[in-house]
Amino acid sequence: MKINRLAYLLSVLPALLSGSCIAPEPANSECDILSVTLPDDDMLNNAPSIKNDCVEIVVKSGTPIESLPLTFTLTPGATINPPSGTPLNYRTPQTFVVTSEDGKWHKTYTIYVDVPKMVLEYNFENATLISASGGKRHYHELYEADSHGKRTLTWASANPSYVMTMQATDPHQFPTYQSEDGYDGKCVVLQTLSTGPFGAGMGKPIAAGSIFTGSFNSSVAMSNPLEATHFGENYPFLGYPLSIKGMYKYTPGKVYGETINRQWVERPDVTDEFNIFAILFATSPEVQYLSGSTIADPSNPAIIARADLDPSQRSAASEWTPFTIPFKLLPGRTIDRQKLASGGYNMVIVMSSSLHGDEFKGAIGSTLQIDQMKIECEQ
Amino acid sequence: MKPLRLLFAPLLMALATTASALNLHPWGLDFQLQAGLNIGGASPFPIPAEIRDIKSFNPNLNLALGFTATKWLDPSSKWGVTSGVRFEVKGMDTEAVVKNYGMTLMDGGKELSGRWTGQVFTHYQSQQLCVPLLATYKCHPAITLHLGPYFAYALRNYFNGHVSNGYLREGDPTGNRVEFDPNTQAEYKFHSALRTFQWGAQAGLGWKALNRLVVNANLEWGCNGIFQSSFKTISFPMYPIFVNVGFGYEF
Repeated sequence: MKINRLAYLLSVLPALLSGSCIAPEPANSECDILSVTLPDDDMLNNAPSIKNDCVEIVVKSGTPIESLPLTFTLTPGATINPPSGTPLNYRTPQTFVVTSEDGKWHKTYTIYVDVPKMVLEYNFENATLISASGGKRHYHELYEADSHGKRTLTWASANPSYVMTMQATDPHQFPTYQSEDGYDGKCVVLQTLSTGPFGAGMGKPIAAGSIFTGSFNSSVAMSNPLEATHFGENYPFLGYPLSIKGMYKYTPGKVYGETINRQWVERPDVTDEFNIFAILFATSPEVQYLSGSTIADPSNPAIIARADLDPSQRSAASEWTPFTIPFKLLPGRTIDRQKLASGGYNMVIVMSSSLHGDEFKGAIGSTLQIDQMKIECEQ
Repeated sequence: MKPLRLLFAPLLMALATTASALNLHPWGLDFQLQAGLNIGGASPFPIPAEIRDIKSFNPNLNLALGFTATKWLDPSSKWGVTSGVRFEVKGMDTEAVVKNYGMTLMDGGKELSGRWTGQVFTHYQSQQLCVPLLATYKCHPAITLHLGPYFAYALRNYFNGHVSNGYLREGDPTGNRVEFDPNTQAEYKFHSALRTFQWGAQAGLGWKALNRLVVNANLEWGCNGIFQSSFKTISFPMYPIFVNVGFGYEF
């Protein structure tokens, strides 16, 4: 008993020592843009999408983007150059350098400001090589561009979180990449891959290749994967959609499996299938995108029309094969043409190499290639 | 650790009874059997700015068992040299809040490295065989002072824990931000980066409370960090600093 008491008394000593020795808080090392505001909130079509090194802002038609002063909030103590509030011409993307409070770290942000523009053709001809893990790993970020080469739509994928699995160093080892082997020019390749020991430890043993309109918030991909996918974010759609068409090739992986209680269980009786679907949804101040959970909610009132593959269309195809998927209005829903013209609807397009990849079911090796995709609208 | 403890206790008791029955002083040496507790921690010194708060600290009940032998060098038995060997455990559990702290999260042998801001739980334990080499001075018939170096060899080493409630900037502070909420802990294990050989300084005193019973108190201050110098993830050295309190039985 006595010894315990003595031990307790002595244990207080180092605790007291350390308590009194906590050094003054060091200056911040981070250099993040935390928020962006425009001179008038009404200029915004969607909330700005802020990523680790770029910001995408979609403003309403008529906003004077030739001389637009943006105001930033940064990591406390950080500074930005050019300074916050400097009017700049966003006809071309502008770059800003943020310097941390301790002065040791710098990060360059590219800021894109665009008016809603309808992109109807998706040719997967453009990709940026993104560097991660201090330059050890590189993956593709695909985007569509207009005839002047200006970026019109950035495709999102789960590649940023696949970096953490340490399974890939080169673009073609990631679930989503651009290939030279297209129907016409380049195409996108989606492949279902193992996530290795790191993913298995997290109960997420596979990663289906996927690409979608919107953005991917990799910071919550571990803790809350359904909230990491912002489907349809920053992709206003101004036409009345009739169908989505394109060319595809599909090879299912050899052994299908399911993740049950975080464990991988093989199901040799099942063949993997791919998925392509599109959703037109109504935006509002509360709904700027569909998340992994709200997209799957059949009663979600924001979802107006859907284009889904018929089960017979999900078959394997070793040669380029055309597909056409008609849009269908959900029962009791209509498209308000006035709202449509003013950018009140966004479009989700999702493609995946494994139909149930979101539940970590699929076959490692399943490969989907897509090219020459377009959405046909009412004239 | 348990089997060792089980092995040591009866062995020492047997030794003690035999020795005291025979009243042994072979080669003119004074023997003392010792048992005690180590209380302290592995700590950077001074505490670096990355550590913002220490939420909890548990010194654990770390056992130390061993014997010493003292050779008196002068006829009046005032000055002597003391050495011996002891098996001891040094360890602690801490929970700290850190900012921009070098971290490599591990899972299945794979790593995710960067700068962590948030909570860190740390478990440290080192099971060691330790040999002190001490100058001894009897300043009072009942009080003996000791000072000198000690050399320790670790039989087993553990340094592991988990992080939660924070975020990792992958690579450096400009890297991707990966968040971990209170429900998603990520583990780390730095066992293999710990040193097997440690040395330091020991200073303390023994007070002869009864005829043969001595109360001992010693400060053991590590002079090399607990990690190998090639280990860069934790950017500051951590020193083992422990107080050993216990009893000795003198023959």
